[in-house]
Amino acid sequence: MNYFAGWYAIFVREMLLFRRKFFKFSYLFSSMVTPLIYLVTFGFGLGRSVSVHGTDYLSFLIPGLVAMSSMNNSYNWVASALNLNRLYHKTFQVFIQAPITSAGIMVGEVLAGMVKGLFASVLVIIVGLVGAPNFHLSALFVLTLLLNCFMFACLGVAVGMLAKTHEDTSTYSNFFITPMAFFSGTFFPLDKMPDLLRYLIYCMPLTHTNILIRKTCFDQQALVSLGVIILLALVFFAWGSRLIRAYNE
Amino acid sequence: MIRIENLTKTYGAIRAVDGLSLEIEAGEIFGLLGPNGAGKTTTIKLLTTLSRPDSGRMTIAGHDVGARSADVKRLIGVVPQEINLDRELSIQENLEVYARLHGVTASQPKIRRTLETVGLWERRDSLVQGLSGGMKRRLLIARAMLPEPEILFLDEPSIGLDPQIRRQMWDIIRQISLEGRTVIITTHYIEEAEALCDRVGIMSHGKLVVVDTPENLKTQVGPYVMEHIDESGKLLQEICADREAANQRAALFNNRVTVRRTNLEDVFINLTGERIE
Repeated sequence: MNYFAGWYAIFVREMLLFRRKFFKFSYLFSSMVTPLIYLVTFGFGLGRSVSVHGTDYLSFLIPGLVAMSSMNNSYNWVASALNLNRLYHKTFQVFIQAPITSAGIMVGEVLAGMVKGLFASVLVIIVGLVGAPNFHLSALFVLTLLLNCFMFACLGVAVGMLAKTHEDTSTYSNFFITPMAFFSGTFFPLDKMPDLLRYLIYCMPLTHTNILIRKTCFDQQALVSLGVIILLALVFFAWGSRLIRAYNE
Repeated sequence: MIRIENLTKTYGAIRAVDGLSLEIEAGEIFGLLGPNGAGKTTTIKLLTTLSRPDSGRMTIAGHDVGARSADVKRLIGVVPQEINLDRELSIQENLEVYARLHGVTASQPKIRRTLETVGLWERRDSLVQGLSGGMKRRLLIARAMLPEPEILFLDEPSIGLDPQIRRQMWDIIRQISLEGRTVIITTHYIEEAEALCDRVGIMSHGKLVVVDTPENLKTQVGPYVMEHIDESGKLLQEICADREAANQRAALFNNRVTVRRTNLEDVFINLTGERIE
């Protein structure tokens, strides 16, 4: 059997559910309006009197917000949905009993998570293209965005499989994802941070996304961050696949 | 078709399935009967690859279930106790996704035929969240039957349904059996086991107490039961060898006394000392 058998079925299911969810106010609000609030508050409010590394603050902030939105949406929707499907709706059990592979389930869920992450990033990118004078899309930007969505969707699968209750997924999010959104260079550059704190921040996956997504040329620092992101993405992918394969009631 | 050898599954200190051995023949409707907590659902979860056993061996059509191979999964259809449909999708969408998961080719005519069998074709565009409990149960059966599995597992298929809808479910299950498929059903409804099953396995505390046809089980225990309700409201039951003996016992009481045929609950009580419901 194909190593990824069943991925398309899982992806189609998620997209059908996403289509229904798309028109719900709560979804649109949480995925798109929240980053816009940050944008208005920090970018257009505080940011008018601030410049970073010689460029305007809005052009600095937009890539960070794209990284943050794509992380939040790729991770949260996958972790939350998978956990609910496994513990409460029991629809995940349908996948386990189908003649498909754990890698297939993983790929289907991750691709669906990536779509949600990309979708949430689009509005921020549009605002950036229209309103930020020094913001522009590059191949490295798009590659970083895709890798970030992939990495956090994989982490979402792992957490969705691990969490013993739905409340646990919120706990992981509150203790890990939310602090990372604020401390890993989304809103301010890291070079002014105290050394000890900076080393800690460099351990956060999103930090490397923020470094890479703002690069205008592919230097040694970009290479390191790209390596870290790819390595973590592969580790999270293997972890999630393993948890699906080990599923046991 | 299905062979189970010394199967054991524990959850902490609880032995949910305790040394179960069983063979189920192709084409039969086999019922696992017992009260809640007897180990019926755990047995189904083990056979349908959701759970892994602590020890023991299961094969379906010669394939090892423990390997969770696609070969086993292609042979089986599962109707779970929980209604695990996608509530926000339509009936048609639920079946289309399931068809893709199971690699069903030319799925549209099969979806139509399956939905017509359970009487849901006209409602195919309705969202699952708007369906009645009976419709959802019928859709679960339709979904499980879509890949045309050789073996259908039904875990408490009529739980929570009113008697009329329950009988519709039984008709559908008999129809599936008449197509030559093997059906394994768990139930704690005596009437359901008697109405449907060719053979019944009675479970209690994770163990299989006895396996036989419903008629043989009842004959072994005794064909008639005399029942009397005493002054404190307590039900007294006595199994009798024939109707005459039962009538003689009944004559000892002035009122609140009945004589009836033995049912599977009497068999269960006789064998385990417990009640099913």
